Amino acid sequence: MNEKKTTHFGFEEVAVEEKAGRVADVFHSVAAKYDLMNDLMSGGVHRLWKRFTIEVSAVRRGHKVLDIAGGTGDLSYQFAKRVGAEGQVVLADINASMLNVGRDRLLDRGVAGNIQFAQADAQYLPFPDNTFDCITIAFGLRNVTDKDLALRSMLRVLKPGGRLLVLEFSKPQNALLEKLYDTYSFKVLPMMGKLITNDADSYRYLAESIRMHPDQATLKSMMNDAGFVNTEFYNMTGGVVALHKGIKP
Amino acid sequence: MDAMLNTAALAGLEKTINTALRYDPGTRIALGKLEEQVLAVSVSTPAITIYLTPTAEGIRLMSQWEGEVHTQLRGSLPSLLKLARSERSSFADSGVEVIGNTGLLVDLQRLLKNLDIDWEDALSDLLGDILGHQSANIIRSGLGYSRDRASEAKRLLSEFLTEELRVLPAKNELEFFYREVDDLRLATDRLEARVQQLLNEK
Repeated sequence: MNEKKTTHFGFEEVAVEEKAGRVADVFHSVAAKYDLMNDLMSGGVHRLWKRFTIEVSAVRRGHKVLDIAGGTGDLSYQFAKRVGAEGQVVLADINASMLNVGRDRLLDRGVAGNIQFAQADAQYLPFPDNTFDCITIAFGLRNVTDKDLALRSMLRVLKPGGRLLVLEFSKPQNALLEKLYDTYSFKVLPMMGKLITNDADSYRYLAESIRMHPDQATLKSMMNDAGFVNTEFYNMTGGVVALHKGIKP
Repeated sequence: MDAMLNTAALAGLEKTINTALRYDPGTRIALGKLEEQVLAVSVSTPAITIYLTPTAEGIRLMSQWEGEVHTQLRGSLPSLLKLARSERSSFADSGVEVIGNTGLLVDLQRLLKNLDIDWEDALSDLLGDILGHQSANIIRSGLGYSRDRASEAKRLLSEFLTEELRVLPAKNELEFFYREVDDLRLATDRLEARVQQLLNEK
């Protein structure tokens, strides 16, 4: 029998080896206007989600931080300020277009010396074991083909005692909010995408991929299975977004 | 409670304070020297802890902090607010508990006292140099006038209460009374010692 392994790409089922390429196309298409769209789509609230993530990260002077799927560098900018000259931040993204936008933005804002850029796949992180004090992946995990493999790879490069923070869309905790959110993401988002980037499909994918992403409890158990301990999550904006935290034992 | 509410409130407050501090470079430099020091303000009801750390750009406010806290202030919201508004330098009877290094508090209090935000610069950025300067002049003279009137009113009221109505004692009368109380206390101490001595001799 020659049955091909499949995974989801939004609501579509695609072959496992195809997903990375399809996701890459989406992000090549949206990279230039990614920040503008983020602000518009979330009404600026994504800044608060990221701010809370930075607080929970407990990153301090001298720490080594890996910002996976760091995209346009919002988190890396704050981390670079916090770790100081003796620390190090690695901004990693699988997508060259997003990484270019992020690198240009950070250099333009005067961040240099303690930051490095790496085009890397979250499933196969190209770093030695026990390297980082903190790893963040903000709005990136849902695009990864094999999430369990990615979580294990992150565990490997974290130092013992280091923490992983996964900021990702999740399941609203209130039925009314969920209904509103559905209407918003399937009707309004693709329309906004069409108006601003002339690309409704990419934004439809974003909305669909959010629905296919594991909910709070499932992601928590996935982190436990990968080997993280003391895992917990914080719901934000009624559960539209959740921040998961896990510690490497 | 949704973690976002705290974060949103702190982000707004931090932005406002740091925008104001942009017009006071002296304070910003002094804050930069205190970088890495963390002050925790714990309100008992509602139970909220806010962490404040000075940075070269102003201050950073956080709802979560897992590192070292250098100074902690603990008390109810009214007593903390009262302390923040008053100019007292002691915490006795304030209802606020201080834990840790008080040096940071002294530094912050000194900075707050010497705060010199250049409002004219801020107004000029908004309205242009000429209009900004003129508006600043109007505000300055208005503030000066109301400050003069307020201190004059305070003086007149206290004179009226002490000298005319005689419902409150004057300052020198109070001091005289305190001196007499002190003398009396010393005299009773001496008497007690004397009685004790006589009892011992018996």
